Amino acid sequence: MSLSEVALQQLINGLILGSFYALIALGYSMVYGIIKLLNFAHGDIYMTGAFACLSVFGVLSVIIPGPGGIICSIIAAMIIAGILGYLAQRFAYRPLLGAPRLSLLITAIGVSLVIYNFIMVITNGKASYFESGLDNSAGVHIGDIKITYIQIVLIAVSALLMIGLTLFIGQTMTGKAMRAIALDQDTCRLMGINVNKIIGITFIIGSALAAIAGGLACVYYGNVQYSMGYTMGIKAFTSAVIGGIGSIPGAMLGGLLLGLLEAVGTQFLTYLGLSGSAWKDVFAFGILILILILKPNGLLGKSEIERM
Amino acid sequence: MKKSIKFLSLLILSVIILSSFAGLSGCSLNGSDNKDEILIGVLAPFSGSNTYFGNDMYQSYELAIDEINAAGGILGKQLKLYKGDDAGDPSVATTAAAKIISQGVDFVVGGYASGATIPTLQQFYDAKLIMLISCANSTQITSLGLNQTFMVNSPGTHAVVTLTSLCKSLGVSKIALIHQGDSYSKDLSDLCEAELPKSGFEIATVQVMEEGAADVSAIVTTIKNSGADFVYWCAYPPDGSNVIKQLRRGDYTGVIAVGDGSASVELIEGCGSDGEGVYVTSPPFVEFAEGGEKFVDDYKAKFDMDPGTYATLCYDTIYMLKQAIEKAGTLKMEKVRDAIQDIEYKGLSGVKKFTPEREPEISNFIILQIKDGKFTLVNP
Repeated sequence: MSLSEVALQQLINGLILGSFYALIALGYSMVYGIIKLLNFAHGDIYMTGAFACLSVFGVLSVIIPGPGGIICSIIAAMIIAGILGYLAQRFAYRPLLGAPRLSLLITAIGVSLVIYNFIMVITNGKASYFESGLDNSAGVHIGDIKITYIQIVLIAVSALLMIGLTLFIGQTMTGKAMRAIALDQDTCRLMGINVNKIIGITFIIGSALAAIAGGLACVYYGNVQYSMGYTMGIKAFTSAVIGGIGSIPGAMLGGLLLGLLEAVGTQFLTYLGLSGSAWKDVFAFGILILILILKPNGLLGKSEIERM
Repeated sequence: MKKSIKFLSLLILSVIILSSFAGLSGCSLNGSDNKDEILIGVLAPFSGSNTYFGNDMYQSYELAIDEINAAGGILGKQLKLYKGDDAGDPSVATTAAAKIISQGVDFVVGGYASGATIPTLQQFYDAKLIMLISCANSTQITSLGLNQTFMVNSPGTHAVVTLTSLCKSLGVSKIALIHQGDSYSKDLSDLCEAELPKSGFEIATVQVMEEGAADVSAIVTTIKNSGADFVYWCAYPPDGSNVIKQLRRGDYTGVIAVGDGSASVELIEGCGSDGEGVYVTSPPFVEFAEGGEKFVDDYKAKFDMDPGTYATLCYDTIYMLKQAIEKAGTLKMEKVRDAIQDIEYKGLSGVKKFTPEREPEISNFIILQIKDGKFTLVNP
């Protein structure tokens, strides 16, 4: 492979990884934007979505095999994760909305541990493997660069979802209400906006997006394990902060940037004679710290964001 | 304020007194010949992602113990197991070890992940307990130099010898290594990096995969670009199958091999068709062991499942202990320890003798290959 081909292939790798980060970062950012909560359970919702997709497809694939069954399974996973996200919001977060932010944060860590350990116990800690029946290797070759069809679908789906979400928040009444609540909850109540309902909807949308990422991870990677949400959650959270937490385009940008930095860092550092993948986080996070020093509110964050 | 300090100091004092009692009772009980049973502590993962291995280890010990008890026990004493769950986690493991010690056990067996096993060894040493490590095989265990700790499984150095012969027979030249930074896989990778160049192989690149990371495509591209014709995965199965799948889907055409940590049917299950042709430097699988059929039948009859990767080593651990105790004629720690040091034991996993460093003298590694969704023996 020539140097430019290697670079391009790593860009594609980074783009795919970044799409996953971005999809999950959206949920973090939306929730933070609306109630200033770092929802640490979000990575576990992603994991639950993956398990839901796997379980539903296990049953459904008998009736509808192939892509149709996968799409139905991902939709089912979205519903399940959406319900889970709503329940967490309704019973763990809503009663604490008036409490200090720190109590809410600890509750989020609690919810995360509950989901994590629950799935660990019922799966016995074993990894499950998703058999989509699709050809994961088939794809187009441009020189030595390879893009599989699944990768193309994956990038297209994430792009569509991000555009859809931007339109939803920017153009619909519900989206407008969300933005209003982010600015001032009390005034929203006075204006007759049902704040609790809108917060509920935010959680459902965020969780459904995480479930889509979980479903796509099932199809693309195949490994589903109770611990898969941990690393993903931390990376997505980082993406959201880099992009400017609370900002939707920022979450997408941050996710893609982190994915690209990791992939390119792995290759670049290996050229320098280091073990690239061992140092990639040092590289990626070093650059991210620089970005935050220069732009403390993240790339697209607003300066009036309230500190915790 | 004053009251609470008083209460706190009382609490601390009582904890200290209680724990010293526990220590005393531990001392007076273990290694004593006056009891009518021998209690063996089992340190293994019974929760977390390695639960399967922990249960398999425990069942293999149980099978051996039930056989021995039915035949009259050791020195007329019945054997009993006590579970200590290390969850594959170093911090949980030290708590589990303390729990095992406080039960007044006579011996300790087990040890799956090296990372979780190593921090417990000094604890067992201080409690004057012999620890027979059935699975964990990081050379870091040897370097601790604890003379009550014996490694039943061949250490990483033996795996490298087996790997070298595999590479020679396949005629490959440039080797890429992937580990996960934990005690076991980093140790194996470091050994390969140090030893393989001595046999004329070139280390193309060493990469590290985060535990549980979904995407390794950047590593795949880097390895392809390094020109490696042989990839050796040094860590555990769930992530290993992910690496193998992504290597194959990224059009990597070289040979892929995995270390003993990945030698389980879980690897085959996880890889699907991408696993075909993958080599394994494996511990002694019971299917390929001499006289293993009876063991497989008994195990299946008792537990209604197939024995796992480390079943033979665990089963042998108990029988080796039996041989040593009978030779020593006592449960006294020093006597049994010396008997193990001088043992010559023949079991399912081959002949076991110990070097002065308390590692097995003879390698028990074998080479397997995945063919038609099954492990097949490449060389004995």
